[in-house]
Amino acid sequence: MLTFIIRRLLAGIVLVFVIATLTFLLSYGSAADVARNILGENASADQVVAKNAELGLDRPLLAQYFSWLAHALRGDFGVSWFSNESVTQMIANRFPVTLSMVVLAIVVTAIISLSFGVVAAVRGGWVDHVLQFVSVAGFAIPNFWLALMLVILFALTLTVLPATGYVPLEDGPVAWATSLVLPVTSLVVGGVASAAQQIRGAFIDVLDLDYVRTLQARGLGRRSVLLRHVLRNAAPSALIVLSLQFIAQLGGAVVIEKIFALPGLGTLTVNSAIQGDTPALMGVVVVLVVVVVIVNLLIDLVGGWINPKVRLQ
Amino acid sequence: MTSLTPRAVRRGVAAFSAVALAGVVLTACGGTNTSGGGPGPGAPTTLTIANQSANNSFDRSQIGIGHNIQYWMPVYDTLLVKTPEGEIVPNMATEWSYNDDATVLTLTLRDDITFTDGEQFNADAVKANLEYLKEGTGESSYMAASIDEFEVISDTEIALHLSAPDPGLVEYLSVVGGAMASPKSLGSGDPATTAIGSGPYELVEAKPGNEYTYERNDEYWNPDAFPFDEIVIKTILDPTARLNALKSGQVDVGTLLATNVADAEATSGLHVERHSVDWQGLIIGDRGGDTVPALGDVRVRQALNYAFDKQSILDNLTRGEGEVTSQTFNVKSQAYVEELDGSYPFDIERAKELMKEAGYEDGFAVTMPDYANNPQVAPIIEQQLAPLNIDITFEKVAADATVPALLSGDFPMFWFSLGSQGAWQDLRKFAFAESPWNTGHSEDPEASKLLDAAKSTIGDEQDAALRDVNRYVVEQAWMAPWYRANALLAVKDGIDAEPQAGNIVPWIRNFAPAD
Repeated sequence: MLTFIIRRLLAGIVLVFVIATLTFLLSYGSAADVARNILGENASADQVVAKNAELGLDRPLLAQYFSWLAHALRGDFGVSWFSNESVTQMIANRFPVTLSMVVLAIVVTAIISLSFGVVAAVRGGWVDHVLQFVSVAGFAIPNFWLALMLVILFALTLTVLPATGYVPLEDGPVAWATSLVLPVTSLVVGGVASAAQQIRGAFIDVLDLDYVRTLQARGLGRRSVLLRHVLRNAAPSALIVLSLQFIAQLGGAVVIEKIFALPGLGTLTVNSAIQGDTPALMGVVVVLVVVVVIVNLLIDLVGGWINPKVRLQ
Repeated sequence: MTSLTPRAVRRGVAAFSAVALAGVVLTACGGTNTSGGGPGPGAPTTLTIANQSANNSFDRSQIGIGHNIQYWMPVYDTLLVKTPEGEIVPNMATEWSYNDDATVLTLTLRDDITFTDGEQFNADAVKANLEYLKEGTGESSYMAASIDEFEVISDTEIALHLSAPDPGLVEYLSVVGGAMASPKSLGSGDPATTAIGSGPYELVEAKPGNEYTYERNDEYWNPDAFPFDEIVIKTILDPTARLNALKSGQVDVGTLLATNVADAEATSGLHVERHSVDWQGLIIGDRGGDTVPALGDVRVRQALNYAFDKQSILDNLTRGEGEVTSQTFNVKSQAYVEELDGSYPFDIERAKELMKEAGYEDGFAVTMPDYANNPQVAPIIEQQLAPLNIDITFEKVAADATVPALLSGDFPMFWFSLGSQGAWQDLRKFAFAESPWNTGHSEDPEASKLLDAAKSTIGDEQDAALRDVNRYVVEQAWMAPWYRANALLAVKDGIDAEPQAGNIVPWIRNFAPAD
């Protein structure tokens, strides 16, 4: 198990390093005009040159990279070129917003997908038909369109939920949850559509195996067979599906945050990219990649714990 | 033996649905619209504004105008105030006067103002603020650039000695130039969350990128000018989200796109205010003809002005939200001349005549930018200039590289949207050889004479001189404006919002409960 963890960890570190380096080269390589953007149209040429020097943009790209890397390894992502706010602080302020939304979304997705997927696999019938329909519909419906429809219905027509805004958890758990109902729902529908179908497929594959029939023939209860044997063997596939859903929902958060005016990492990413606020963009990219790596590692660990055969793969 | 019978499945699904529905009802009962204000009985005491830009900083040298002004104006009062109609009136400074050659501006200050950290407002505080602005690298540092020396005459009197007459200075003192932060706070504290001034409100909570809350400063000397007890500013970047927040009552005020106006006007409880600040059209940077000789001929530039069907473009691009014009100054500017609006009506035949007279009947070639975030512009320009045989090569320009690319002088002419504030502020942008939007750095002796006349006068005489400059600029066709675009603001019924001359959004003092 320890070797398993170390292998996954090393792979994650390499991934973070590669993505961060590529993003740096793409971002800093095109940052030549940022001083003018920061200082505005009235700045003199001398002021622009001075600003470039202040930001270190007059150094060779590799020198800038190693300087950034040395600071990043200490958790210092610098300051925003536009707001002078610490990038670490910016991310710390916004991370809980995105995390709240995505974690809630994945938990709800997991519960609904597992429930539907298992029932559809085991019982078939009308549940399976409903699942097929929901999957197709869920794939066809863009999550931003769904978000707008939810706003129109629940916020503007029924006025039972807020149209925009995020309330931090410390300001009240009920208000916090209320502010996330619509954004989470927008992410969940697409997630369930994808995950439930695949979980159903994973369960059917395992249910068709000989040993399941053998267990039932030996007199084991249906519930015991499902929970103690089928689930353990189907779990890795289900967990992979859910981890992919987590990544997809993290990406989908960008659009959802825009629609609901949530001050999360997605909004920060888009704004930083548009403005050319490279330190902020680099900080967000690194944090998001680390999050994805950690989630994948946790999923692998859980999968390995549930099914020891996975650890040997 | 237990099993998943159809009955068990139905019970399970029903139970799940009931739990989910209860969850939604309970969270909804926990409070709707919890993150914003809403309508209530009697006059509202809280004003909630949706701002379409994130606040960049409360550092006194980094604050700006435009949308940013709403974030700092509740806290940093200004030496002077510009009324919604554009008149400059006293505020923290009760009087001001120039010497004979307009190189010394003397201000008399109120003696009853204290910053919220206990520091006294006086001439030393004014000096500290203006020096800090001048030495900073903010985009508004030019507002203090002409001040060579700060002479503190007494606690309530300060003389600003200028390197040269600056017709814009008095106006600057009503915006960023005149913003007063506590001298003790200059350069200290977290600029993202800290602002200490003497204004009508105190910043009590700042969540960068999200929401800012201001509560009434009970020590403020002019409370009647600010009827709300609390101001909440929410950063809502997306126009659809802003409109939804307005329609749901989460915010009282918010800007709109032209495409949202019909929806807002159809919403019960909202009304839309309009005024023009920005103009859109072509800036002819190479009016000296250094890169494209044709542009050095005034007849060619005038032909460009005649060639655009401005009303049609306005109707299609902004759904008619604006007014066609041939000048760049807004209607409340000292330099505005009403008859200049119609100087160049759409007349393609006249345009062709002018091109022929200038010897460019066969047109000319020019490179223009194609904006990633305004892709609708390039096809319009190409189509409208095709009858003049102008061969345009479009080069893609990324969103974050737009301004630097345009200011570099690489494009002899280009479309842009420029704000119009005060007359001198506008002229600084394009009228001088060193002006940023005079991208070809052309010099014009006749224009220089007119600018000098405006610079060396004050009052009505200066206003007349500024109008002369405007007439010259239009006659020489330095630009080819299409229209003044309306700045659109949706406001909840029961709140009055007076548009502000020269600013895209109203200042905080322009809001009041209706009656």
